[in-house]
Amino acid sequence: MAFVGRSGCGKSTLLKLIAGLLTATAGAITVDGQPVGGPLKNVGMAFQNPVLLPWRSVLDNVLLPLEILRENGDARAPGLGLWRDRAVTLLATVGLTGAELRQPRELSGGMRQRVSLCRALIHEPALLLLDEPFAALDAFTREEMWDLYQRLRAQREFTGVLVTHDLREAVCLADTIYVLASGPGRIAGVHGVALPRPRTLSQVYGAEGTELMGRMREQIRPGRETAA
Amino acid sequence: MGSRSRRVVLPLAVFVALVLGWEALVALLRVHPVLLPPPSGVALTMARTAGPIAFHAWHTLVTTLIGFGAAVGLGLLLGFAIGGSATVNDALYPLLVGFNSIPKAAVVPLLVMWFGIGMVPAVLTAFLLAFFPVAVNVAVGLATIETELRDVLRSLGASRWQIFRKVGVPRTMPLFFASLKVAISSAFVGSVISETVASNAGIGYLMAVAASDFNTRLAFGGLAVLAAMGVLLYGIFAVIERRMTAWAYAE
Repeated sequence: MAFVGRSGCGKSTLLKLIAGLLTATAGAITVDGQPVGGPLKNVGMAFQNPVLLPWRSVLDNVLLPLEILRENGDARAPGLGLWRDRAVTLLATVGLTGAELRQPRELSGGMRQRVSLCRALIHEPALLLLDEPFAALDAFTREEMWDLYQRLRAQREFTGVLVTHDLREAVCLADTIYVLASGPGRIAGVHGVALPRPRTLSQVYGAEGTELMGRMREQIRPGRETAA
Repeated sequence: MGSRSRRVVLPLAVFVALVLGWEALVALLRVHPVLLPPPSGVALTMARTAGPIAFHAWHTLVTTLIGFGAAVGLGLLLGFAIGGSATVNDALYPLLVGFNSIPKAAVVPLLVMWFGIGMVPAVLTAFLLAFFPVAVNVAVGLATIETELRDVLRSLGASRWQIFRKVGVPRTMPLFFASLKVAISSAFVGSVISETVASNAGIGYLMAVAASDFNTRLAFGGLAVLAAMGVLLYGIFAVIERRMTAWAYAE
């Protein structure tokens, strides 16, 4: 699913609420039927800024979540011997074979973002929370990342929650799109996207996609009732 | 000439030219040697008093290093506390800045009153001058961890202690090692100031005695030793910095 809306409408806050990094002042958040009380442990997160650790190689960056889980005695951390294999396989699916031992500063923005995605997925979380993950990339790289994300979705079991201000991105990647309006933050519309997968750019720009984007744009535009 | 050798040869050439120019000017203008001795005379005095100079230099070095060591230890602790906790930061940082703006030379008489003439006030002055840069740099390194990174780790169930160890400490290291260069120079300044005012040993003491005897040659000799020691200490810590945190520089 995807949440779209203007800057400042609370998209990122919503993600942090879902992850349990913030506490709701009113109402309740439930994930998988359980109310969220503190930071959830079965989520992976990736942001616009890939925030890799510059003193670690690509491989060690991807392995960071496993180190933490292991130290905390989490059952989901595989045996040490399997770590490397798992990370190498995951890096291969995003096309980073051969880059395992490189340093983050040597990589392009798109490559860094792929490493960041791998770090978010290495512990096989049930929820993948993405906060405008491709917003800082150039248009071509971003479209490649859409394909990549769809491949990952097809291969792995996780629920993706995407926050974006790019309507095309939402149409390309999400099954359900929630349109958020600001002042006060609320859901202005819910749209199912029925396009078959994997989606291509021509589908996104096709009649159905274009019509959907048009409707969402109307809902995002500050209406007269909010201007009052 | 390669850019590397350029960076070594060029400043050396300027230095040699300056010394030669000094020598020539003193001879040409017949400056009285008590006012300004020629470099050759300074070198001669240094060679003749090599033994005592070495003794005093060693004393200054030990004093500086003890003060520096204490400053690094306390600076690290204080930096971690300030960078790790907003409460500690709000409570201590303004005081720290206020304290640091006191000229430390003004504290030396008090230290002498409490601890007498000798090594202790010199060590303390070195310490007082050196701990501030360490504490501030470490605190900045910790306090500027990206929110996103914190979120990534917290969503894995990482504790504050784990975030501190896995991210805080390594990302602070370049700033910490950079601060050591500043701290060692400051410690050196501190110990020499204190030695000049109240000590029975050390280069600062040697220079104070030389000046009161109008022994300008020896005073310049002391100055040359101080300069050499300062450059050497700074250089050592600059090399350590590059070695320890290559990831922050390599491009």
